[in-house]
Parts: sequence; structure tokens; C-alpha cells
Amino acid sequence: MTVRFGRTELPERQVEVLRRAVRLEWVTLAFLAVTATLVFLVLGNSQAMKAAWVEDLLSFIPPIAFLIAVRMARRRPTVRHPYGFHRSVAVGHLVAAVALTGMGAFLIIDSGIGLVTGEHPTIGTVNLFGATIWLGWLMIAVMAVTGIPPVIVGRMKLGLARELHDKVLYADADMNKADWMTSVGTIVGVLGIGVGLWWMDAAAAIFIAGSIVHDGVSNLRAAVVDLMDARATTFDDARPHPLVGRVDQYLSGLPWVREAGSRVRDEGHVFHIEAFVVPRRGKVALADIETAREGCVSLDWKIQDVVVVPVPELPDVVDAITPRGSTA
Amino acid sequence: MPRSRPVAVVAAAVSVLLLAGCGIRIPADPQGTLDRVDGGVLRAGITPNGDFVRLDGDSPSGSEIDALIAFADSLDAEVDWTVGSEEALVRGLESGDLDVVAGGLTDETPWTDKAGMTRPYGEVTLADGSTAKVVMLVPLGENAFVSRLETFLTDEAATEGVGR
Repeated sequence: MTVRFGRTELPERQVEVLRRAVRLEWVTLAFLAVTATLVFLVLGNSQAMKAAWVEDLLSFIPPIAFLIAVRMARRRPTVRHPYGFHRSVAVGHLVAAVALTGMGAFLIIDSGIGLVTGEHPTIGTVNLFGATIWLGWLMIAVMAVTGIPPVIVGRMKLGLARELHDKVLYADADMNKADWMTSVGTIVGVLGIGVGLWWMDAAAAIFIAGSIVHDGVSNLRAAVVDLMDARATTFDDARPHPLVGRVDQYLSGLPWVREAGSRVRDEGHVFHIEAFVVPRRGKVALADIETAREGCVSLDWKIQDVVVVPVPELPDVVDAITPRGSTA
Repeated sequence: MPRSRPVAVVAAAVSVLLLAGCGIRIPADPQGTLDRVDGGVLRAGITPNGDFVRLDGDSPSGSEIDALIAFADSLDAEVDWTVGSEEALVRGLESGDLDVVAGGLTDETPWTDKAGMTRPYGEVTLADGSTAKVVMLVPLGENAFVSRLETFLTDEAATEGVGR
């Protein structure tokens, strides 16, 4: 079966990775549904539990955004959408980031008010199968049980996000990976209530809300940067994407090319490339340009939409690569 | 994410666990309500309501009065009754002048941001035929006290049918 991202036909390896990523996200959604229900059942009056619950609810957004985005991105480009539908990934990324930032900020304010006004959280008992136990123990048990699996799933997703070059999947994996801190934070808050330190609950809630805002802001920055057509970077935004250099290297290695430099934007999964080349002579054969284009496309599955433009001199927004020049 | 954060979280968790291990009772009262009532005085605020709290005799009577006296007995405590409107009594809880408020209150009570609520321990049939769950109000966050009261009320309600 052929799986596409727009015009791009995915290599077998990426098809398999995509299949696993989709399956993992469904697993994540099922797990989240169980977690959110469990946490809701023992919510009580703890502000930290409330923050953890809100985080669980927010965690639904990235997997859903991913599942919708990979579906949308498969559509082929049309006359109305000549660049395809790859940007659906960036849109999903932005939506998730805004939700995270907004809810995190709300929780910080909400918990801060509780802390300043000295709201003492009241946590009583529950009657479980005829035995009366303190609800706090149940909260701790739920957080301990639900804290570990997301970390494992998150680590698995991280590798897949690299292979697929999917930033929504990366954002999701990153959040899952840090989930255990929410659990430990909540447990500390509830134990704090238990030993009579009422303020630890609100403090733990602020800590959790802080990590939500942190996730939100870093994702917001990444999503906006992508939508602003910044230079293509690796899936974790750590450095410029190596493919950019490889394209320039390849083009400048052609016998008829004196200098090459390309403008690459990340459409989400795939790159759209405008490659500028300065020919050695005043005339360029059409066949040479087409060969150069096909050469670029064959470099990597992420490269599909390539335009090779002969220019008298390179625009100043690209890094120029000359044949015997840099080895970057 | 800075590397020091997980370390700080774990350190906090461990120190709380150590504290908990040093004979501190969980849950505990920030204001020490249970310790004060134990062998002392239970300051109960009551407001008349049906069979729960009646004020027609020399001393208050009713199912919740019986329950509170029995609860105080279980702690070797005397009961000091304060009669007032719900609002006045809730203010008493907030200012620390009262330990518990009873008067056929239900879990639909609007006072929940000013007072803690016990787990429902009985049911009451309202005028319109619907049923509501009966609770008592306690000071916010006095979790040892509320846990003790809830445990007592649950056991009592099961054996004596306190809530009507």
C-alpha cells in the first residue's frame, strides 16, 4: 500500500513508522481517557489534583491534532491548495500550544489566589468497600499508577517523531515524557495537605501549572516560527536541518553550477525548496535544470517540491555554497 | 527543561515522606482542631431544621444533636452549643470560633468555599419530593477532624440511622 504526504510517497520505513505513531497515539488517547476519569473520581478539593486533571484533559489535544494532521496532510495538492495540506501539522501545533499556555496561565492565577487568600484544602474520607480511608491516599495511589506509562510512551514517540519529522508528535512526546513530574508534584502536594502543610497543595499546583505554561510557550514559539517560514530546522528545533546543506552541496557539485544556495521552508513533514543556482555560463540547458531538480528530490523523501532557479547572483538570505568552498 | 527541576521534586517528595515517617499523623489539622476537641470541648453551631435540630425544649434535641453528643462522647468531650443563622455559624467556622455546624444541611449547600463539608452520611426528603444528601460543615482544611467526624457519622448512620 502506498502512503503519501501530499505529493510525497513515503518510503517503506516511514510508512511503518507512521503506522506505529498512529497506533501509539490511539493508545495514548485510550490511556488518557482512563487517567482523566480516575483523576476526576478522586479530585476532591486539592488544587494540585485539579491542575493535574486539567493537564490530563489538555494532553488530549496533541494526539488528536496529530491524528487529524496526518490525515489532512495525505491529501494531494490541488489548484486551490497548490502547496498541499502539510501546514495542517503547523496549525495543529499552534492550537495545542495556545491551549496549553492559556490553561497553564489560568491555573497559576487560580492557585496563586488560593495561596494568597490562605484557602485550606479540605480532604476528608471516602467509604470504599465498607472501609473508611482518607481520600488523600487514593489520590496518591492514582497519581502513582498513572504517572509512569506516559513516560514510556513518550520516549517511544520521540524516536518516531524524529523519523517522521513531525513536530506535533514531538511536542506530544515531550509532554508525555515530563508527565511523571506532574504526578510527583501532585503527590507532594497531597502529602503536604496530609501532614497539615495546607500551602503545599497550592504550591504544587503552581509548579504543575508552571510546567504546563513552559510546554505551552516553547511549543507556541516553535509553531509560530514554522508558520513564519523560518529556516527549516530539525524536528526538535535544535539546529538547522542538515538536508538544507545537503541540497546546496549537491547542487554546487554539478559541473555547470558555480554557486548554489536554497531557501527551504518546513511545511510539516516535507520541505518546499527554492534552490538558487548561479550558472558558470550565461546559458543553461532546460535538461540540466530538470536533472538537478530530480537529483534534489532523490536525496530524501522529505524533499519533493523543488524549484531550481538560475540567477545571476544569489539572494542575500541564503548561505552560499561554492564547489571547493565550505564543507558545512 | 532545566535538569535541576526533577531533582528538586524528588528531594521534596523524599523530605515529605521522611516527615510523614516521623510519627506525624496523616491527615493532620493545620489548626489542631481534633487535638483541641479531644478531651475538651466541641463547639457546635446549630440552626433549627425539622427533625435534625429542634430547639423547642430546654435543651436542643434532634437526630443531629444526638449524633454530635455521641461524637463528642467518643472523644471524651463536652458540647458547647451555639444557635444562630447559617451565615453567622459559617462565619464562626471561618473565624475559628466553631468546630462544626449542623442543621439538616445538604451537599447542595452554597457555603462550600467558606467551610469544609463532610461526606454525606444520610438522606433527607425535601418538600418537593426530591432527596438530598445530609452533611455537616467543618472549618476548611482541618482534615484530621473532618476525617474523624466522617468516620463516626458513617458508622453511626449505618447502625442508628441518624439521617432521616
